[in-house]
Amino acid sequence: MRHLQGPRRGRLLAVALCAIALLTACTSQQAAEDPNAPQPGTLRVLASSELSDMAPVLDRIADDTGIKVRPTYMGTLDAVELLAKGRANGQYDALWLSSNDYLRLRPEAAKKVVSETSVMSSPVAIGVRSTTLGELGWKPDDVTWSQIEQAVQEGRLTYGMTDPARSNSGFATLVSVASALSGAQSALNDADVTEATPRLKEFFKGQKLTSGSSGWLATAYKRRGSVDALLNYESVLKGIPGLTVIRPKDGVVTADYPLSSLASTNAATRDDVRRLTEALRTEDVQRLITERTHRRPVVASVAPASGLDPGRRRELPFPGSRSVADGLLDAYENELRRPSRTVYVLDTSGSMEGDRLAQLKQALADLTGDFREREEVTLMPFGSEVKSVRTHVVEPAGPKAGLAGIREDTEALSAEGDTAIYTSLEKAYDHLGAGRDTFTSIVLMTDGENTTGAEAADFDAFYAGLDRDRRETPVFPILFGDSDESELEHIAELTGGRLFDAQEGSLDGAFEEIRGYQ
Amino acid sequence: MRRIAGIILAVLLIGGVVAAVVAGRSNEDGTATKTVQAVIGSEKAEFFADPDVVKALAAKGYTVKAETSGSWAMEGLDLKGYDLALPSSQAPAVALAAKYKVTGTLPRPFYSPLVVVAHRNAAEVLAANGLATLDSEHRGTFEMAAYLDAARADRTWQQLKGARKYGELTGTLYLSSTDPETSNSGALYLAAASYVENDGKVVATDAEVDRTAPLLHKLVSVQGAQQAGSDAVFRDFVSGAGNPLVVVYESQVASLLAKGQQPDDLVVLYPDTTVNSDHTVVPLTENGKAVAELLSSDPKLRELQARHGFRPQGESSEFALDTTYLKQELTGVHQAAVPTSEVLHELARRARGQGGHST
Repeated sequence: MRHLQGPRRGRLLAVALCAIALLTACTSQQAAEDPNAPQPGTLRVLASSELSDMAPVLDRIADDTGIKVRPTYMGTLDAVELLAKGRANGQYDALWLSSNDYLRLRPEAAKKVVSETSVMSSPVAIGVRSTTLGELGWKPDDVTWSQIEQAVQEGRLTYGMTDPARSNSGFATLVSVASALSGAQSALNDADVTEATPRLKEFFKGQKLTSGSSGWLATAYKRRGSVDALLNYESVLKGIPGLTVIRPKDGVVTADYPLSSLASTNAATRDDVRRLTEALRTEDVQRLITERTHRRPVVASVAPASGLDPGRRRELPFPGSRSVADGLLDAYENELRRPSRTVYVLDTSGSMEGDRLAQLKQALADLTGDFREREEVTLMPFGSEVKSVRTHVVEPAGPKAGLAGIREDTEALSAEGDTAIYTSLEKAYDHLGAGRDTFTSIVLMTDGENTTGAEAADFDAFYAGLDRDRRETPVFPILFGDSDESELEHIAELTGGRLFDAQEGSLDGAFEEIRGYQ
Repeated sequence: MRRIAGIILAVLLIGGVVAAVVAGRSNEDGTATKTVQAVIGSEKAEFFADPDVVKALAAKGYTVKAETSGSWAMEGLDLKGYDLALPSSQAPAVALAAKYKVTGTLPRPFYSPLVVVAHRNAAEVLAANGLATLDSEHRGTFEMAAYLDAARADRTWQQLKGARKYGELTGTLYLSSTDPETSNSGALYLAAASYVENDGKVVATDAEVDRTAPLLHKLVSVQGAQQAGSDAVFRDFVSGAGNPLVVVYESQVASLLAKGQQPDDLVVLYPDTTVNSDHTVVPLTENGKAVAELLSSDPKLRELQARHGFRPQGESSEFALDTTYLKQELTGVHQAAVPTSEVLHELARRARGQGGHST
């Protein structure tokens, strides 16, 4: 029953799209004007979010060559799905993922790529807090995955990583860990994954932090102060102060950032892509890349920036078939990782009447297909007070019952009453209690300001009075309708969450994006 | 007679230089040269981007706009509006010629043998275990038959003498190649391996395909996901990422050396049985045909081909290279013929067959 439901890529697509203005960081779902209108001299590039750190390099190239890059950040799986379905045709001029390994497992997507040129590289690594490193007595050059595993098992090491279903770095990390711990001597196959499952399960017990993006992972890591290490690309980890970055001795998966031109584009566009590629591979730019972004150059005449250890590492082969890659991902989501417990605090006050409530119901119904096995979902609709508290668990033995329950409760939502945001949030914290070895979080969806019950100051005091464990539950507020951005931003900041925008983007898009953080 | 030809050639050359200058000038006004749209294998991108090549072509009245694609992937492209295709070997070229109804002999201006590039630690361990012999610090021979035996037995680095001291040498011993279904160098690797596995005969019959396919499947499935182009695998190697043994074209190494690079951690191993990549032109228009002709016969372009590490067809005197890493003459390297396009496709398909190493 394990492969009951693969990760829901079809739906992810519509959603994880966060197109943005030139070279700015991605904060919301969509930009105000049509983000995909073609513009001469500007390449619309479907890119991995890790590439946002390339802005200074791309600025320089724009000055030198006149070619501008307008990135749209997306996870690998979503991007590959988009390509496979032909929906990138006419929307994007080039593809720039951290790796095309997964793309190659989908021939219908791979066919859409004409040529690809690797631009730089960065291996998966573990960044360990200096104090922890001392306690473990590790010598950074000699650390192996088995050692990491042992430290996790002994309870001496906890870590954070990004969600493999939504982030390239998470996916590469998952493959590295699975390959190394399975003991497979060559590319992973289905049997290797099955065999390694018990060990992997142990290993992922040490994962205390999950995130939909590398950026928030770093922020949450700093804030918590209780997580010992992060698993991510070397380039990302090198940018976080206080971490000793270790490439495990027994092997890593390396991202090689191939800039790829697309068959659906015309020759002139592909020529621009070629010029951009050439510009990226000049010695000066390669030097700039390695110094600014801590990635490794792919031109032999340029040395890696200081601090990047030149020692060799075994390259762990990436799975050669889709069934293995998808199977691994599926196992991670439904079996290996710690399950999540989430409370959805949903504004169903009078102002939600009509279209807004319909949107909410639709968004929740869509989301239902995305819940993982073992996940606990609580719906907490509120108006003048919390209206009901309904908890459902997606049981691996019979996941349909839990999902049907969520759908039923969603259908029954009705709009009435005032808006008691803070009182309801306090209820949500009370409901969750201690973490019980799960990823806990609260999603707050509201279309207006707090009008009744506890005030912001009351909630601040309430939160300050929680014990440390419970303070680790973040609130992810969604900006929707007439909700007050500063009020919600404050809640996100206070609790270590992140604000999502469904005013610019869509409500189902926001719900979907939050999945990466749960 | 010879002398006269030489003089004529010299005159032509001088004329060429003049023409280049003229073409260069008139080019700025947006006239003069004819633009030729080409789709080429990725390993030739640097050749066509070289300002000297651009100049030499302009001298003859042409500007080549080259776009790269996997050699076998060219079949999937719409080549309307293109003047020529230049895949990295004959088999995909023949398939393209059939698709676009190109008749006549397809020009093969230059070639390059398949080689194995190795990091020094790996080369040293191979040599200590009878899988390679080293002529010098940076050059040697790769023993194909011994390697295929090791692959058949799933030999790991840990089982090889002397590997223990190198942490990066663990896991199954294998050569990395490109995807044989889309890229030429990967397919040619299978051609060489199948030739050895088929007792020194080119695989031609169904029975021979059946007999060699299991080993080829092993050689490919052990690699997991494969890169789509020869340039990418070589880049990974150069950047220090990836497998320590990679199948590439000799020309890629030569091109790197020609830029003055002397990579310390590079050993070039010539397989004792290898295959050549015969870069073959498929002219799609009259302009394409003219450029194809120039690539084969223009002395300047031939010289530039050699500078980029390709071996021009015919006499080899143009090919003078850095013998620290490369062999001037390919003596002692057996050149296996390549199976027909159909057979090679089938071998690639069977080698890539889904299911991994245990299904």
